[in-house]
Amino acid sequence: MPDYRHLIQYAVMNMHPIHYLPMLTLALVLAMFSNSSNAAKISAQKNEDSGLYSWVAESEGFSIELIQLLPDFIRAIYMSHDFPDAEVDEIAGYCVFGTIIKNTSQQQLDYDVAEWHYTDKHGKDYPVKTKSEWLEQWRKAGVTFSWTLLPDKGTFYEGDWQQGFTTVKLPRESEFTLTYKWSINGTEHTDTFEGLRCAPDQLSEK
Amino acid sequence: MHRTNYLKNKLSILSLLAMVSSLLALTAYAAWEVQPKLGHSLTPLPEPVPAPDFTLEDMDEEKHSFKDLRGKVVLLNFWATWCPPCRREMPSMERLYQKLNGESFTVIAVNQMEDGDHVFAYTGQLEVDPTFTILFDKDSKVSKSYRVNGLPTTYLIDKQGNIRYRAIGGREFDHPEVEKQIKQLMQE
Repeated sequence: MPDYRHLIQYAVMNMHPIHYLPMLTLALVLAMFSNSSNAAKISAQKNEDSGLYSWVAESEGFSIELIQLLPDFIRAIYMSHDFPDAEVDEIAGYCVFGTIIKNTSQQQLDYDVAEWHYTDKHGKDYPVKTKSEWLEQWRKAGVTFSWTLLPDKGTFYEGDWQQGFTTVKLPRESEFTLTYKWSINGTEHTDTFEGLRCAPDQLSEK
Repeated sequence: MHRTNYLKNKLSILSLLAMVSSLLALTAYAAWEVQPKLGHSLTPLPEPVPAPDFTLEDMDEEKHSFKDLRGKVVLLNFWATWCPPCRREMPSMERLYQKLNGESFTVIAVNQMEDGDHVFAYTGQLEVDPTFTILFDKDSKVSKSYRVNGLPTTYLIDKQGNIRYRAIGGREFDHPEVEKQIKQLMQE
């Protein structure tokens, strides 16, 4: 949004209120609309069958959905692809989220997970471990399977979307905030996804 | 006097900016309300790119070379059974195949790192059993040569073996607009 503060300041200092008040009102309305278009619209949903939560944040041209996944589900996925036990245990020890990202603009969108980070409830910041970092670790353990994780980087055009796992190294049921970046036609955007929570170790008995 | 004119001009520009910004904000809000399900847009590549050649086996362990498809428009889809959008788009690929398959069009689905028994069991559970060719890229070398980062990814390749369109994420491939793009390539 263009910065109109200097113009408003000039008007207040040099004009009669009858002239600058309509302009001030207009600027306030404009600022209100502008803020709403820059902030993510977040919605949460609880799966009544599983008790797990998912959240969707919709920002300018970019949508991200995070879905809680249970550690046992993650173990089952990687065991079925013959991962060594140590690697299965390691990734199942993370909070793993099913992640769906979408280009909701009609233009080119770029993202790079290496620029994303999360903040725990104590305000401590951590980088998101990227797919490349996981693959490098798995390669050393003799694993060649390279799918399931959200690709590090992407260039999306109209209608493109992608899904995969995102990992967060925090204790079960921890609350955190994800800060994520993307760009549309080269213009960078940053947003925060607040109120996220890691899945529990197991589902509670109903 | 100069200052008054200057301010008037500034105010006009400000009003115009206000209207444009408000419209953009409302448009963005409207876009939020429409969650894309499976879309149908394929992105045209700025320049045609030669599709890498490959030879892979099908379910019956018969070898198929991509270069043998020269002269046909090919919808080349990279997928896996564990990938939810891959499963969602597969019926539309079968409908498209049933409608257009022939001398100048075909559909090839390249499975990633799974075996024939697993895929056979999976396709048997589908509402519509796919009749297009499924090939097995057991070490993902072919997907790497096509620079596939995530599944599903689909390319539309022309009769000369050049990649012309790309789609990342699931699509409804039997949508009339996709069909139109394919038919245009078939007529080239």
